[in-house]
Amino acid sequence: MGNNGWTRRRFIQAGLLTTGAAALGVGVTRPTGLWAATPKIKGPIKVGYQAIMSGTLAGYGEFHKMGVTLAMEEINAGGGIAGNKLEVEFRDSTLKAPEAIQNARYFVDSWGADFLGGVDSSGQALALAPVMAELDRILIVTHAATEKLTEEQVFKNGIKQIFRICTPTYQDGNAAAFVAKDLPAATWATISPKYEYGYTCWDMFKNTLTKLKPGVSFTAESWAPFGTTDFRSHINTILDAKPEGLYSTEWAGELITMVRQAGQAGLFKSIKHVMFPVGAAMDVLEGLGADMPDNVWISGRYFFLYPNNSTNNDWVQRFRKRWNHYPAYVSETGYSAMFALKKAVEAAGSKETKAVIQALEGMTMDSPAGQRVFRKEDHQAMYDVPWGLTVASDKYPFKIMGKQILVPAKECFNRPPFEGEGTRPPF
Amino acid sequence: MNLESLVHVCLAGLSTGMFIWLVASGLTLIFGVLGVLNFAHGSFYMLGAYCAFTALKLMGGNFWLGLLVGPLVVCAVGFVIERFFLRHVYGLELPYQLLLTFAFVLLFDNLVKIIWGAGSIGSPSVPGLSGSVNILGRFFPVYNLFIIVVGPLVALGLWALIEKTWYGRIIRAASTEREMAAAIGVRVPALFTGVFVFGTWLGAVGGALAVPYIGLLTPGMGEAIIIEAFVVAVIGGLGSLKGAFLGALVIGLLSSFGTRFLPAFDMFLTFILMAAVLLWRPQGFFGKAV
Amino acid sequence: MKRYAPILFAGIALAALVLIGLIGGRFLIYLTSRVMILSIFAMGYNILFGRTGLLSFGHAAFYAGGAYGLGLFMLHVLPHPLLGIVVGVACAALLAVVIGFFCVRHTEIYFAMLTLAFGMMVFSLIWNLRDITGGDDGLVGIIRTPIALGPLSIPIIKPQSYYFLILALLLLSVFLIYRIRHSPFGLVLAGIRENEKRVAFAGVSLKNYRLGAFVLSGAFAGLAGALGTLLESSTSPFSAHWSHSAEPILVTLIGGLQTFAGPMVGSAVFIVLREVIERFTHNWMLWFSIILLVIIMGFRGGIVGILSGRRK
Repeated sequence: MGNNGWTRRRFIQAGLLTTGAAALGVGVTRPTGLWAATPKIKGPIKVGYQAIMSGTLAGYGEFHKMGVTLAMEEINAGGGIAGNKLEVEFRDSTLKAPEAIQNARYFVDSWGADFLGGVDSSGQALALAPVMAELDRILIVTHAATEKLTEEQVFKNGIKQIFRICTPTYQDGNAAAFVAKDLPAATWATISPKYEYGYTCWDMFKNTLTKLKPGVSFTAESWAPFGTTDFRSHINTILDAKPEGLYSTEWAGELITMVRQAGQAGLFKSIKHVMFPVGAAMDVLEGLGADMPDNVWISGRYFFLYPNNSTNNDWVQRFRKRWNHYPAYVSETGYSAMFALKKAVEAAGSKETKAVIQALEGMTMDSPAGQRVFRKEDHQAMYDVPWGLTVASDKYPFKIMGKQILVPAKECFNRPPFEGEGTRPPF
Repeated sequence: MNLESLVHVCLAGLSTGMFIWLVASGLTLIFGVLGVLNFAHGSFYMLGAYCAFTALKLMGGNFWLGLLVGPLVVCAVGFVIERFFLRHVYGLELPYQLLLTFAFVLLFDNLVKIIWGAGSIGSPSVPGLSGSVNILGRFFPVYNLFIIVVGPLVALGLWALIEKTWYGRIIRAASTEREMAAAIGVRVPALFTGVFVFGTWLGAVGGALAVPYIGLLTPGMGEAIIIEAFVVAVIGGLGSLKGAFLGALVIGLLSSFGTRFLPAFDMFLTFILMAAVLLWRPQGFFGKAV
Repeated sequence: MKRYAPILFAGIALAALVLIGLIGGRFLIYLTSRVMILSIFAMGYNILFGRTGLLSFGHAAFYAGGAYGLGLFMLHVLPHPLLGIVVGVACAALLAVVIGFFCVRHTEIYFAMLTLAFGMMVFSLIWNLRDITGGDDGLVGIIRTPIALGPLSIPIIKPQSYYFLILALLLLSVFLIYRIRHSPFGLVLAGIRENEKRVAFAGVSLKNYRLGAFVLSGAFAGLAGALGTLLESSTSPFSAHWSHSAEPILVTLIGGLQTFAGPMVGSAVFIVLREVIERFTHNWMLWFSIILLVIIMGFRGGIVGILSGRRK
């Protein structure tokens, strides 16, 4: 599978290859004229997008690309952004912060990006924040979930260039607790990633659930390092603790492995209430197929069957037609990020960072995932993603959400000023 | 803490250990005879998994047929690497050998992504070995029991090959006294190629067998295993197959018991063990012998 | 004529570096900053590798020692970049003394494996001591505050001014490493590489010399780590991962193993090449691996070797 279709093989300034390093700093050369429909915005609008395209998580990069490319094609077919063509360039973010920073600097200072998007790892997003302030370009984060990004970097440190269009850890921790409070389970345990994301979500889940349902107890924790392929000991730890509920923020390939191995060990027979906050990811559902047990609670940043309205259903159809795939959640967040930029630029009548930040703050937009509102204080997009119980379906070769519970973002997302009374759910 | 748990943690450790052993055996054999620490062994593991998967798809979905054919394809890759690349750097310093094999890691990681796609691929089921058995009231997969049996069988086979056959005598001769072996008429280059290809096959089989256990194939899946295999090979004494077998058992059980009973358990402990062995008993459990 | 060629090249390179700092665009300045930091890492590495032939897979731990030493000092003690750099280098050197004490007992593959084990221990510690190190999120928000020197206060927040601080420290490093190389200590190291036994018979403690080289190269790795952290305003556990230890080896190989300028040339080529290849394909590692294979199979003198006509 090559990426000819997506990679922009622009021939860079001819001088680049011959004069080597010196030409890398040529700086910003913006094509003018051709697409400059309105006097204020001189196109094209350039978006630099980075996602993980190598290693075991490379599949996520492909899903990002599909969504963003579809958005670009649709926007350009419909007349572009305020009459200007949208151009997107992709780069592999690896998972390392220095690479993400180099990509961002390349996009802005060498390629001439007006906006940036993407970023999968929380560490990268946190490291990028001050860089975005220095470069003074907007970055719309489409996957990294750490609440520190919006609470600390945007709200507390005032880095206004960062926006997040995907749900953060609140959906994985707090919302899960709202669902768990109505389940007949008084003891909970976890197998989760042995890094910040796993720790944070479990803490949120515990704190919120304790408030919602005093008396609930948490009996075992088993942490799996990044890259774990053998969960048997973790599963034994949980089985020994005999909890009534299992909560796990394992995700992607590691969740597939864990679910398979837990199934073999009979875990789903003895533990009736199981929650996978990122279980509704397409790679997981498709990867597990019939091996995903029934009646497990799953959620994600978006699920392609929700909301059941024409905007979403039409989009899923178009996506299927274009890529022969069901959209993953990063496909939706990447897609919607492009349309968020379109709407904001057109509202601002400018692509200048300051004006677009103003337009984005508090902006409401319709997207496949439903209505999103960018919260003014911390630039977090507020939108609702359901939690659902897995069920088999004749229409799909994988499990989907059957019974659904919606915990509105307004009720489960932490609120500014993020410290003190009334900032954490329940409100 | 009860018997049921203890038995299952033991079984988990045994199967983990045997998986690492399957990979570490080829690595150890190649180091023992050729003196090359092969970074690309993790790539052979990955290629074995992917090639077996494709072979399985092409031949009607039979896992065993895939297991038979896939690793043979990887052997061809191993042959090319030894014959046209590695052979030319035996005489050079250590860094060149390590970096050559490292370059192949980068190459194969990318080739796999290009050929098979970046996303993960779900694993096929294994006819006859797909269920679980009830052991003391808790379930354990039949497939893992199968691996717990296969591991020692491979070890036995290797022992018989090296101790009891004519080829084994030549291999032993060449690994201890290269010049002497050449002097008595052993075609050392051909022998090296043969051993490298055989080691490659072991790694590829390890990969093909690992897929139903991990549950999926991903590009880059060889990178995690190669460091574990290094640890095992070192603990066992570089080049010692007996040592590697025991090392794999130790690491498998350590990680399984550590994960279950020490909340703070981490790879940290295995690296401490690795360093300790290198410092106090670099020749490993049994000393340097193939 | 040939005798003056290296001096001529050095002069041109220095002039180019100064010129880039003065008139280069922001991205060029950033990239060149990275080249210089990698150069320090690789040149320091080469004190050990190029001179004594010891291949370490654990030097990323010292890079991280410098990075986290500076980061923690600046975040919790005093936001003074220069003192932070000193603390970072000291941390790295101390770590190298402890780790080196054990590692120099071996050579060859056993040394490589020992350094791998110790390096991964440091990686694991950084990953897990999350209250101190921030876990996998790393340390963020390390701001380049002005350097206070008595009444003077030198601002380095601008990439351009920080560039010249890196350049100054690169020149200092080049000078020091050149002096080390030609000192009696350096000559003994070269002797160890050529003929270990003979040096040992001459009554020289091999271990002490190896340890000396190990600590020196660790200290330079720490300097690179501290400078890298200031450049990115952050650091993460990946800086200690063994794959990061491979970077100085790779660039040294590209530039030229036995040469003084090799690590620097290699660093520049490594970073610029990646930047150029990335513009055409996302599979840059594929092309990089092919380049590596070509160098190992046919051009072992690296780029400096090719340029000076010393094709091995």
